[in-house]
Amino acid sequence: MTDIIKATNIHRKFGTGTLEAHILKGIDVTVKEGEFVAIMGKSGAGKSTLMYQLSVLDEPTEGTIIVNGIDVVPLNEHESTAFRLNTLGYVFQNYALVPDLSAEENVMLPLLMRGYVWAEAKATARMAIDGVGLEGKYTNLPAELSGGEQQRVSIARAVAGKPKILFADEPTANLDTVSGKQVIALIADLNRNDGQTVVMVTHEREYALGCDRIIHMEDGLVTSIEQLK
Amino acid sequence: MRALRIGFLLGFRQIQRANFWTTALIIFVMMLTFLNLIAVSGILVGLIAGSERAVQEKSLGDIIITPLENEEELLQTETIRRILDTLPEVASYSIRYQTGVQITANSKTRRDFSIEPNSIGAQAVGIDPAAEDAVTGLSNSVVEGEYLNPDESGYILIGALNLDRYTAGFADITGSLEEVFPGDSVRVTVGGASREFTVKGIINAKAGGVASFVYLPEKELRRLSSTASRDADEIAIRLSDKSPETAIEVKSVLVNQGIDEFAKIRTFAEALPKFITDIKQTFNILGTFIGAVGIIVASITIFIIIFINAISRRQQIGILKGIGIDRRAIEVAYVLQSAFYALTGSLIGVLVTYGFLVGYFDRNPIDFPFSDGILVAEPMGTLYRFIILFIITLFAGFIPAWIIVRQNTLNSILGRK
Repeated sequence: MTDIIKATNIHRKFGTGTLEAHILKGIDVTVKEGEFVAIMGKSGAGKSTLMYQLSVLDEPTEGTIIVNGIDVVPLNEHESTAFRLNTLGYVFQNYALVPDLSAEENVMLPLLMRGYVWAEAKATARMAIDGVGLEGKYTNLPAELSGGEQQRVSIARAVAGKPKILFADEPTANLDTVSGKQVIALIADLNRNDGQTVVMVTHEREYALGCDRIIHMEDGLVTSIEQLK
Repeated sequence: MRALRIGFLLGFRQIQRANFWTTALIIFVMMLTFLNLIAVSGILVGLIAGSERAVQEKSLGDIIITPLENEEELLQTETIRRILDTLPEVASYSIRYQTGVQITANSKTRRDFSIEPNSIGAQAVGIDPAAEDAVTGLSNSVVEGEYLNPDESGYILIGALNLDRYTAGFADITGSLEEVFPGDSVRVTVGGASREFTVKGIINAKAGGVASFVYLPEKELRRLSSTASRDADEIAIRLSDKSPETAIEVKSVLVNQGIDEFAKIRTFAEALPKFITDIKQTFNILGTFIGAVGIIVASITIFIIIFINAISRRQQIGILKGIGIDRRAIEVAYVLQSAFYALTGSLIGVLVTYGFLVGYFDRNPIDFPFSDGILVAEPMGTLYRFIILFIITLFAGFIPAWIIVRQNTLNSILGRK
């Protein structure tokens, strides 16, 4: 398996002078294609910050990040937006659905942006919604869905366009235990059945046990890598 | 194109799912802004337009022929009359004779000469009652008594501004007759000649000097002033088509007939006193200024609405950018909302203006002291203001969206400053 993410000597600092905070202190990380990797650590360890660097949502202060063969650090805003659209999928902890759009329209958004025609986007979106077990809830507004259902729509939106890598930032943080397990099972299924590369940030070890590897972080550094499979 | 498509989807759904009353309130504000833009300047201009219309209908006619600059009378009045009789565009005309007169109301009852005479100096207009009525509808301006009948003698019409009861407040300046009513007798003196006339009616109109003149049949006025000449002081012409273009055409016909060699021919527009056109322009500027203030208020309103909307959705905007939605799509969504508010508000404003206000003020002019104000809303002017309001609203919607959308994507997602 080839490295789909290769991050070298990643530093991330915020602020300047005495107020400077050094969050990531020289991290080297690789993720192989088709791998399911969890990033774990205590609050403030830098796990979310690392994921933002890997998922091209933020720019490291220092270091290089190659994602799917492209050096993403020098990309400008327009290029990084296009890169995220075509290569990456995201699941945020607060679901991040557009409240005015129905479930299927939320899933259709990135597809339309990619250039799908309306009917094609609608059919693909419905297939993705079916895939996360929400058959028949296509036209429901987010407010009409439970937290777990909203997160599943969010997963459908993230994977409908078949991204190279799926990033999930504490996807179970706002869910009850049952819904949380369902969401993790869904993500694991995507990895197992479709070969979807997944990078997930979580602080629940129970949810990370289904992964191939767990990257443990503490104080801005990778302290250990736990190979599970 | 993709950004436009997604922007329309996001914008349309935001409008569709927005709180009905909030949307209605924003549209109401936009409608008021549009009406402010149209109605304020329209009524200000309408004050003068109403005055102009009254002067055209009740005094000058569509074309007015007056003596040349260095002449006191209209030379060859009979020649002009014959030419006018041949023109099919001329619906009617009134030949007027004017002279200064002294009018005394208590000449018969004043026994004690130590008592002040109840008299004033006035401008008398000699008319053919039927012809004058055809041109200016003078009979419609009779507010007391009756209009003159053709070929009757011994009667006079008095303009209301010559009477004390109509001029309260400024009678001390102009002088006025006290207690004169239809049926009363007044003495009219021209030079050394005097004659008693019975007041047949009182004339009042907010047009030119209509209410300041006294009117009597032209034959009697010429007889009283011992004038043998048939040369008049002015001829007011009413055309079958009142449009300015027709007036210009008829004027050129009259010029081609050589009338301009012994008379000054002016269309209504040319004869308007300069101060009226100056006031009209001033009011137009004033209306535009007030309208501009309205536009600024509306644009700030839209700016605040869109800004609050966008700032409250900052995290959502960040996430949209995060999942790869082009920032232009998000900007289009907010611009679309602004466009919707502006278009809907303006369209309702147009409907209210042309479906109700213009007709209403036409039927019920505003009773100002010097004119009956109407609402002037030229379609081209309305379109021009509509376009201005629309464009400014688009900017007012775009700028806050642009400010929010250009913020760092991750900071927006995390709610960081």
